[in-house]
Amino acid sequence: MTANELPTVVIACRVFQHLLEAYLPHEIAERITFMDYGLHRVPTNLTLSVQEQIDAVEQPSLIVLGYGLCGNGLNGIKSRQHTLLVPRADDCIAILLGSREEYLREFESEPGTYYLTKGWLESGSDPLKEFNEYKEKYGPQDAEWLMDQQYQHYKRLVLVAHNQEDLERYRPQALKVAEFCRRWDMRYEEKLGSDRFIARLVEVAGDLDRADHDFLIVPPGGEIRQADFIGG
Amino acid sequence: MREILDKLSTCILEGKAEDTPGLVQQALDEGIAPKTILDDGMVVGMNEVGDRFRRGDMFVPEVLMSAEAMSEGLEILRPELVSSGAKLIGKIVLGTVQGDLHDIGKNLVGMMCEGAGFEVINLGFNQKPEAFVAAIKEHQPDIVGMSALLTTTMRSMGHTIKAIEEAGLRDQVKVIVGGAPVDQDFADRIGADGYGSNAVAGSELAKRLVAEA
Repeated sequence: MTANELPTVVIACRVFQHLLEAYLPHEIAERITFMDYGLHRVPTNLTLSVQEQIDAVEQPSLIVLGYGLCGNGLNGIKSRQHTLLVPRADDCIAILLGSREEYLREFESEPGTYYLTKGWLESGSDPLKEFNEYKEKYGPQDAEWLMDQQYQHYKRLVLVAHNQEDLERYRPQALKVAEFCRRWDMRYEEKLGSDRFIARLVEVAGDLDRADHDFLIVPPGGEIRQADFIGG
Repeated sequence: MREILDKLSTCILEGKAEDTPGLVQQALDEGIAPKTILDDGMVVGMNEVGDRFRRGDMFVPEVLMSAEAMSEGLEILRPELVSSGAKLIGKIVLGTVQGDLHDIGKNLVGMMCEGAGFEVINLGFNQKPEAFVAAIKEHQPDIVGMSALLTTTMRSMGHTIKAIEEAGLRDQVKVIVGGAPVDQDFADRIGADGYGSNAVAGSELAKRLVAEA
Protein backbone atom coordinates (compact mmCIF):
# COMPACT_ATOMS: atom_id res chain seq x y z
CA MET A 1 0.00 0.00 0.00
CA THR A 2 1.43 3.43 -0.84
CA ALA A 3 1.22 6.26 1.64
CA ASN A 4 -1.56 7.79 -0.45
CA GLU A 5 -3.78 4.76 0.10
CA LEU A 6 -3.45 4.74 3.88
CA PRO A 7 -6.38 5.69 6.08
CA THR A 8 -6.09 9.31 7.21
CA VAL A 9 -5.99 10.28 10.88
CA VAL A 10 -5.79 13.90 12.02
CA ILE A 11 -4.33 14.99 15.36
CA ALA A 12 -4.42 18.74 15.78
CA CYS A 13 -4.29 21.61 18.21
CA ARG A 14 -7.75 22.96 18.93
CA VAL A 15 -6.61 26.32 17.55
CA PHE A 16 -7.20 24.90 14.04
CA GLN A 17 -10.59 23.35 14.73
CA HIS A 18 -12.78 25.61 12.62
CA LEU A 19 -10.31 25.69 9.73
CA LEU A 20 -9.78 21.94 9.57
CA GLU A 21 -13.47 21.22 9.88
CA ALA A 22 -14.14 23.59 7.02
CA TYR A 23 -11.56 22.05 4.71
CA LEU A 24 -11.41 18.34 5.48
CA PRO A 25 -13.89 15.91 3.93
CA HIS A 26 -16.72 15.28 6.36
CA GLU A 27 -15.81 11.67 7.11
CA ILE A 28 -12.30 12.69 8.19
CA ALA A 29 -13.34 15.93 9.91
CA GLU A 30 -15.66 14.15 12.30
CA ARG A 31 -12.84 11.93 13.53
CA ILE A 32 -10.19 14.59 14.23
CA THR A 33 -8.53 14.33 17.61
CA PHE A 34 -8.25 17.87 18.92
CA MET A 35 -5.71 18.52 21.62
CA ASP A 36 -5.76 21.16 24.35
CA TYR A 37 -4.50 24.65 23.64
CA GLY A 38 -1.43 25.65 25.48
CA LEU A 39 0.32 22.27 25.61
CA HIS A 40 3.28 24.06 24.00
CA ARG A 41 3.91 26.02 27.18
CA VAL A 42 5.74 22.97 28.41
CA PRO A 43 6.98 21.55 25.11
CA THR A 44 7.73 18.13 26.64
CA ASN A 45 4.04 17.79 27.53
CA LEU A 46 3.15 18.49 23.92
CA THR A 47 5.60 15.85 22.71
CA LEU A 48 4.29 13.24 25.13
CA SER A 49 0.61 13.97 24.46
CA VAL A 50 0.93 13.87 20.68
CA GLN A 51 3.11 10.75 20.81
CA GLU A 52 0.50 9.06 22.98
CA GLN A 53 -2.19 9.79 20.38
CA ILE A 54 0.02 8.48 17.57
CA ASP A 55 0.80 5.32 19.52
CA ALA A 56 -2.91 4.72 20.09
CA VAL A 57 -3.51 4.39 16.34
CA GLU A 58 -3.11 0.69 15.54
CA GLN A 59 -3.58 0.43 11.81
CA PRO A 60 -0.72 1.91 9.74
CA SER A 61 -2.08 5.32 8.74
CA LEU A 62 -1.27 8.68 7.27
CA ILE A 63 -1.30 10.84 10.38
CA VAL A 64 -1.71 14.54 9.72
CA LEU A 65 -0.41 16.66 12.57
CA GLY A 66 -2.10 20.04 12.91
CA TYR A 67 0.90 21.55 14.62
CA GLY A 68 4.02 23.54 13.90
CA LEU A 69 7.33 22.91 15.59
CA CYS A 70 5.74 24.73 18.57
CA GLY A 71 8.74 25.55 20.74
CA ASN A 72 10.25 22.14 19.87
CA GLY A 73 7.11 20.37 21.06
CA LEU A 74 7.21 18.18 17.95
CA ASN A 75 10.94 17.50 18.18
CA GLY A 76 11.56 13.80 18.77
CA ILE A 77 8.09 12.52 17.88
CA LYS A 78 8.33 9.07 16.32
CA SER A 79 6.19 7.93 13.42
CA ARG A 80 6.20 4.23 14.48
CA GLN A 81 4.30 2.26 11.79
CA HIS A 82 2.70 5.41 10.39
CA THR A 83 3.50 8.11 7.87
CA LEU A 84 3.40 11.61 9.35
CA LEU A 85 2.49 14.78 7.49
CA VAL A 86 3.39 18.04 9.23
CA PRO A 87 3.24 21.67 8.11
CA ARG A 88 6.79 23.02 8.20
CA ALA A 89 5.96 26.04 10.34
CA ASP A 90 7.36 27.38 13.58
CA ASP A 91 3.99 27.63 15.27
CA CYS A 92 0.29 28.23 14.80
CA ILE A 93 0.73 31.91 14.03
CA ALA A 94 2.68 31.10 10.87
CA ILE A 95 -0.08 28.70 9.84
CA LEU A 96 -2.83 31.17 10.66
CA LEU A 97 -1.08 33.95 8.75
CA GLY A 98 -0.86 31.64 5.74
CA SER A 99 2.88 31.16 5.33
CA ARG A 100 6.24 31.08 7.06
CA GLU A 101 7.45 33.95 4.92
CA GLU A 102 4.58 36.15 6.04
CA TYR A 103 5.32 35.30 9.68
CA LEU A 104 9.02 36.05 9.34
CA ARG A 105 8.18 39.34 7.63
CA GLU A 106 6.02 40.26 10.61
CA PHE A 107 8.90 39.34 12.90
CA GLU A 108 11.23 41.62 11.03
CA SER A 109 8.83 44.54 11.04
CA GLU A 110 8.09 44.25 14.78
CA PRO A 111 9.77 41.56 16.87
CA GLY A 112 7.86 42.51 20.02
CA THR A 113 4.47 41.26 18.95
CA TYR A 114 1.94 39.37 21.04
CA TYR A 115 -0.62 37.59 18.86
CA LEU A 116 -4.23 37.03 19.83
CA THR A 117 -6.32 34.50 17.95
CA LYS A 118 -9.85 33.21 18.25
CA GLY A 119 -8.76 29.95 19.82
CA TRP A 120 -6.26 31.60 22.11
CA LEU A 121 -8.81 34.18 23.29
CA GLU A 122 -11.40 31.51 23.95
CA SER A 123 -9.37 29.03 25.89
CA GLY A 124 -5.76 30.05 25.96
CA SER A 125 -4.19 32.95 27.75
CA ASP A 126 -3.41 36.61 27.23
CA PRO A 127 -1.55 39.20 29.29
CA LEU A 128 -4.73 40.38 31.02
CA LYS A 129 -5.79 36.86 31.98
CA GLU A 130 -2.26 36.16 33.12
CA PHE A 131 -2.22 39.29 35.27
CA ASN A 132 -5.45 38.26 36.98
CA GLU A 133 -4.07 34.80 37.65
CA TYR A 134 -0.87 36.26 39.09
CA LYS A 135 -2.84 38.68 41.27
CA GLU A 136 -4.72 35.83 42.82
CA LYS A 137 -1.63 33.74 43.33
CA TYR A 138 1.02 36.28 44.29
CA GLY A 139 -0.85 39.45 45.28
CA PRO A 140 -1.23 42.68 43.26
CA GLN A 141 2.25 44.07 43.86
CA ASP A 142 4.19 41.00 42.80
CA ALA A 143 1.75 40.49 39.92
CA GLU A 144 2.59 43.93 38.52
CA TRP A 145 6.29 43.28 38.83
CA LEU A 146 6.04 39.85 37.20
CA MET A 147 4.04 41.22 34.28
CA ASP A 148 6.54 44.04 33.71
CA GLN A 149 9.41 41.56 33.70
CA GLN A 150 7.71 39.47 31.04
CA TYR A 151 6.17 42.05 28.74
CA GLN A 152 7.92 45.38 29.13
CA HIS A 153 9.77 45.03 25.82
CA TYR A 154 6.70 44.16 23.76
CA LYS A 155 5.51 46.83 21.33
CA ARG A 156 2.44 45.48 19.58
CA LEU A 157 -0.69 43.42 20.14
CA VAL A 158 -2.17 41.87 17.02
CA LEU A 159 -5.55 40.20 16.67
CA VAL A 160 -5.43 37.66 13.83
CA ALA A 161 -8.70 36.38 12.39
CA HIS A 162 -9.78 34.75 9.18
CA ASN A 163 -12.64 36.95 8.22
CA GLN A 164 -14.20 40.28 9.02
CA GLU A 165 -16.91 38.59 11.04
CA ASP A 166 -14.42 36.96 13.41
CA LEU A 167 -12.46 40.19 13.71
CA GLU A 168 -15.61 41.93 14.82
CA ARG A 169 -16.66 39.16 17.16
CA TYR A 170 -13.34 39.05 19.00
CA ARG A 171 -12.54 42.75 18.84
CA PRO A 172 -14.22 43.70 22.15
CA GLN A 173 -12.24 41.06 24.04
CA ALA A 174 -9.02 41.95 22.23
CA LEU A 175 -9.53 45.63 22.99
CA LYS A 176 -9.76 44.88 26.71
CA VAL A 177 -6.38 43.18 26.49
CA ALA A 178 -5.09 46.10 24.41
CA GLU A 179 -6.25 48.54 27.05
CA PHE A 180 -4.30 46.60 29.68
CA CYS A 181 -1.20 46.39 27.49
CA ARG A 182 -1.09 50.15 27.05
CA ARG A 183 0.95 50.24 30.28
CA TRP A 184 3.88 49.07 28.13
CA ASP A 185 2.94 51.41 25.26
CA MET A 186 1.90 48.46 23.13
CA ARG A 187 -0.14 49.45 20.10
CA TYR A 188 -3.12 47.47 18.87
CA GLU A 189 -3.50 46.14 15.33
CA GLU A 190 -5.76 43.74 13.49
CA LYS A 191 -4.76 41.39 10.74
CA LEU A 192 -6.75 39.15 8.45
CA GLY A 193 -5.16 35.72 8.35
CA SER A 194 -5.15 33.33 5.46
CA ASP A 195 -6.39 29.77 5.09
CA ARG A 196 -3.77 29.03 2.44
CA PHE A 197 -1.58 26.86 4.68
CA ILE A 198 -4.45 24.74 6.01
CA ALA A 199 -6.01 24.39 2.56
CA ARG A 200 -2.66 23.17 1.21
CA LEU A 201 -2.26 20.79 4.15
CA VAL A 202 -5.60 19.20 3.33
CA GLU A 203 -4.70 19.04 -0.35
CA VAL A 204 -1.34 17.37 0.39
CA ALA A 205 -3.00 14.93 2.80
CA GLY A 206 -5.11 13.79 -0.15
CA ASP A 207 -2.09 13.38 -2.40
CA LEU A 208 1.37 13.33 -0.84
CA ASP A 209 2.99 13.86 -4.23
CA ARG A 210 1.78 17.43 -4.02
CA ALA A 211 3.93 18.18 -0.99
CA ASP A 212 6.52 20.91 -1.41
CA HIS A 213 9.05 22.43 0.99
CA ASP A 214 6.23 23.73 3.20
CA PHE A 215 5.48 20.19 4.33
CA LEU A 216 7.41 17.53 6.14
CA ILE A 217 6.67 13.87 5.48
CA VAL A 218 8.10 11.37 7.95
CA PRO A 219 8.08 7.74 6.77
CA PRO A 220 7.38 4.77 9.07
CA GLY A 221 10.17 4.24 11.58
CA GLY A 222 11.18 7.90 11.34
CA GLU A 223 11.30 10.79 13.74
CA ILE A 224 10.50 14.50 13.60
CA ARG A 225 13.64 16.57 14.19
CA GLN A 226 14.05 20.26 14.89
CA ALA A 227 16.57 20.30 12.03
CA ASP A 228 13.72 19.49 9.62
CA PHE A 229 12.28 22.90 10.45
CA ILE A 230 15.36 24.95 11.14
CA GLY A 231 18.51 24.62 9.11
CA GLY A 232 21.88 25.24 10.69
CA MET B 1 27.66 25.24 58.21
CA ARG B 2 25.64 22.84 56.07
CA GLU B 3 22.37 24.01 57.55
CA ILE B 4 22.67 27.66 56.58
CA LEU B 5 23.76 26.77 53.05
CA ASP B 6 20.76 24.46 52.69
CA LYS B 7 18.52 27.24 53.92
CA LEU B 8 20.03 29.62 51.40
CA SER B 9 19.59 27.15 48.56
CA THR B 10 15.93 26.60 49.51
CA CYS B 11 15.41 30.34 49.79
CA ILE B 12 16.59 30.81 46.19
CA LEU B 13 14.50 27.87 45.00
CA GLU B 14 11.39 29.29 46.67
CA GLY B 15 12.15 32.78 45.39
CA LYS B 16 12.08 34.55 48.75
CA ALA B 17 13.99 37.65 47.72
CA GLU B 18 13.37 39.41 51.04
CA ASP B 19 15.03 36.59 53.02
CA THR B 20 18.17 36.02 50.94
CA PRO B 21 20.28 39.00 52.06
CA GLY B 22 19.77 38.04 55.73
CA LEU B 23 20.74 34.44 55.12
CA VAL B 24 23.82 35.45 53.12
CA GLN B 25 24.85 37.76 55.97
CA GLN B 26 24.27 34.99 58.51
CA ALA B 27 26.47 32.63 56.49
CA LEU B 28 29.19 35.28 56.31
CA ASP B 29 28.89 35.84 60.07
CA GLU B 30 29.37 32.11 60.59
CA GLY B 31 32.70 32.51 58.85
CA ILE B 32 31.84 30.63 55.68
CA ALA B 33 33.95 31.66 52.69
CA PRO B 34 32.03 33.83 50.18
CA LYS B 35 32.86 31.44 47.34
CA THR B 36 31.45 28.53 49.33
CA ILE B 37 28.27 30.47 50.09
CA LEU B 38 27.84 31.08 46.40
CA ASP B 39 28.76 27.64 45.05
CA ASP B 40 27.35 25.39 47.77
CA GLY B 41 24.33 27.50 48.65
CA MET B 42 22.97 29.90 46.07
CA VAL B 43 24.12 28.12 42.91
CA VAL B 44 22.71 24.81 44.18
CA GLY B 45 19.29 26.45 44.53
CA MET B 46 19.49 28.14 41.15
CA ASN B 47 20.54 24.92 39.45
CA GLU B 48 17.46 23.21 40.82
CA VAL B 49 15.35 26.11 39.50
CA GLY B 50 16.81 25.55 36.03
CA ASP B 51 16.15 21.83 36.12
CA ARG B 52 12.58 22.21 37.35
CA PHE B 53 11.84 24.86 34.73
CA ARG B 54 13.03 22.58 31.93
CA ARG B 55 10.92 19.75 33.26
CA GLY B 56 7.84 21.97 33.48
CA ASP B 57 7.67 21.73 37.26
CA MET B 58 8.32 25.44 37.62
CA PHE B 59 7.05 28.36 35.57
CA VAL B 60 8.23 31.80 34.51
CA PRO B 61 6.87 33.70 37.55
CA GLU B 62 8.63 31.37 39.98
CA VAL B 63 11.85 31.57 37.98
CA LEU B 64 11.64 35.37 38.04
CA MET B 65 11.23 35.34 41.80
CA SER B 66 14.18 32.99 42.21
CA ALA B 67 16.26 35.22 39.95
CA GLU B 68 15.33 38.19 42.12
CA ALA B 69 16.30 36.26 45.26
CA MET B 70 19.64 35.41 43.63
CA SER B 71 20.18 39.03 42.68
CA GLU B 72 19.41 40.32 46.20
CA GLY B 73 21.79 37.77 47.70
CA LEU B 74 24.55 38.69 45.28
CA GLU B 75 24.27 42.34 46.30
CA ILE B 76 25.52 41.35 49.76
CA LEU B 77 27.94 38.73 48.55
CA ARG B 78 29.59 40.57 45.65
CA PRO B 79 31.78 42.95 47.72
CA GLU B 80 32.82 40.01 49.90
CA LEU B 81 33.75 37.93 46.87
CA VAL B 82 35.89 40.79 45.57
CA SER B 83 37.61 41.50 48.89
CA SER B 84 38.23 37.79 49.48
CA GLY B 85 40.50 38.00 46.47
CA ALA B 86 38.37 36.19 43.91
CA LYS B 87 40.03 37.06 40.61
CA LEU B 88 38.29 37.83 37.36
CA ILE B 89 38.45 34.63 35.37
CA GLY B 90 37.45 36.07 32.01
CA LYS B 91 35.23 38.34 30.02
CA ILE B 92 31.90 37.40 28.44
CA VAL B 93 29.69 39.32 26.03
CA LEU B 94 26.01 38.35 26.31
CA GLY B 95 23.01 39.20 24.18
CA THR B 96 19.60 38.03 23.02
CA VAL B 97 19.74 37.66 19.24
CA GLN B 98 18.01 39.70 16.56
CA GLY B 99 14.23 39.56 16.48
CA ASP B 100 13.97 38.31 20.03
CA LEU B 101 13.25 40.53 22.99
CA HIS B 102 13.18 37.96 25.75
CA ASP B 103 15.93 38.59 28.23
CA ILE B 104 14.96 36.93 31.50
CA GLY B 105 17.12 33.85 30.92
CA LYS B 106 19.98 35.79 29.39
CA ASN B 107 20.11 38.18 32.35
CA LEU B 108 20.13 35.23 34.69
CA VAL B 109 23.10 33.76 32.83
CA GLY B 110 24.77 37.16 33.25
CA MET B 111 24.17 37.06 36.98
CA MET B 112 25.54 33.53 37.30
CA CYS B 113 28.60 34.40 35.21
CA GLU B 114 29.26 37.46 37.30
CA GLY B 115 29.03 35.31 40.42
CA ALA B 116 31.43 32.84 38.83
CA GLY B 117 34.01 35.59 38.37
CA PHE B 118 33.43 36.87 34.85
CA GLU B 119 33.33 40.44 33.72
CA VAL B 120 29.95 40.52 31.98
CA ILE B 121 29.11 42.83 29.10
CA ASN B 122 25.37 42.59 28.60
CA LEU B 123 24.35 43.90 25.17
CA GLY B 124 20.61 43.57 25.82
CA PHE B 125 18.00 42.06 23.52
CA ASN B 126 17.20 42.12 19.78
CA GLN B 127 20.89 42.38 18.92
CA LYS B 128 21.92 42.16 15.29
CA PRO B 129 24.86 40.00 14.22
CA GLU B 130 26.81 43.21 13.57
CA ALA B 131 26.26 44.28 17.17
CA PHE B 132 27.92 41.08 18.42
CA VAL B 133 30.79 41.60 15.97
CA ALA B 134 31.26 45.20 17.11
CA ALA B 135 31.19 44.11 20.76
CA ILE B 136 33.89 41.51 20.14
CA LYS B 137 36.09 44.15 18.53
CA GLU B 138 35.48 46.62 21.32
CA HIS B 139 35.62 44.38 24.38
CA GLN B 140 37.86 41.49 23.26
CA PRO B 141 35.91 38.93 25.31
CA ASP B 142 36.89 35.31 25.87
CA ILE B 143 33.34 34.18 25.30
CA VAL B 144 30.25 35.32 23.43
CA GLY B 145 26.93 34.02 24.76
CA MET B 146 23.76 34.16 22.68
CA SER B 147 20.21 33.58 23.80
CA ALA B 148 16.84 33.08 22.05
CA LEU B 149 13.43 32.05 23.32
CA LEU B 150 11.75 31.32 20.01
CA THR B 151 12.39 28.84 17.21
CA THR B 152 11.75 31.71 14.79
CA THR B 153 14.63 33.72 16.21
CA MET B 154 17.14 30.98 17.04
CA ARG B 155 18.12 30.97 13.34
CA SER B 156 19.72 34.32 14.05
CA MET B 157 22.31 32.53 16.21
CA GLY B 158 23.64 30.79 13.11
CA HIS B 159 23.67 34.10 11.21
CA THR B 160 25.60 35.72 14.04
CA ILE B 161 28.25 32.99 14.08
CA LYS B 162 28.64 33.45 10.30
CA ALA B 163 29.05 37.20 10.77
CA ILE B 164 31.71 36.59 13.43
CA GLU B 165 33.51 34.24 11.03
CA GLU B 166 33.29 36.71 8.17
CA ALA B 167 34.76 39.42 10.38
CA GLY B 168 37.73 37.10 10.96
CA LEU B 169 37.07 36.98 14.70
CA ARG B 170 35.86 33.41 15.15
CA ASP B 171 39.23 32.08 16.35
CA GLN B 172 39.56 34.58 19.15
CA VAL B 173 36.26 33.82 20.94
CA LYS B 174 34.32 30.82 22.15
CA VAL B 175 30.65 31.01 21.26
CA ILE B 176 28.03 29.52 23.56
CA VAL B 177 24.26 29.36 23.09
CA GLY B 178 21.18 28.75 25.20
CA GLY B 179 17.45 29.37 25.52
CA ALA B 180 14.28 27.32 25.56
CA PRO B 181 14.32 25.94 21.98
CA VAL B 182 18.09 25.42 21.80
CA ASP B 183 19.71 22.02 22.29
CA GLN B 184 23.12 20.43 21.81
CA ASP B 185 22.20 19.21 18.34
CA PHE B 186 21.36 22.75 17.21
CA ALA B 187 24.51 24.14 18.82
CA ASP B 188 26.56 21.58 16.89
CA ARG B 189 24.77 22.34 13.63
CA ILE B 190 25.51 26.06 13.76
CA GLY B 191 29.09 25.49 14.91
CA ALA B 192 28.84 26.86 18.44
CA ASP B 193 31.44 25.82 21.01
CA GLY B 194 28.89 24.84 23.60
CA TYR B 195 25.33 24.80 24.84
CA GLY B 196 24.00 25.43 28.33
CA SER B 197 20.63 23.93 29.28
CA ASN B 198 20.06 26.47 32.05
CA ALA B 199 21.72 29.54 33.59
CA VAL B 200 23.97 27.55 35.92
CA ALA B 201 24.95 25.13 33.17
CA GLY B 202 25.75 28.17 31.00
CA SER B 203 28.08 29.71 33.55
CA GLU B 204 29.71 26.31 34.26
CA LEU B 205 30.31 25.91 30.53
CA ALA B 206 31.83 29.39 30.33
CA LYS B 207 34.13 28.54 33.25
CA ARG B 208 35.21 25.30 31.59
CA LEU B 209 35.93 27.03 28.29
CA VAL B 210 38.18 29.68 29.81
CA ALA B 211 39.97 27.04 31.87
CA GLU B 212 40.69 25.02 28.72
CA ALA B 213 41.91 28.05 26.77
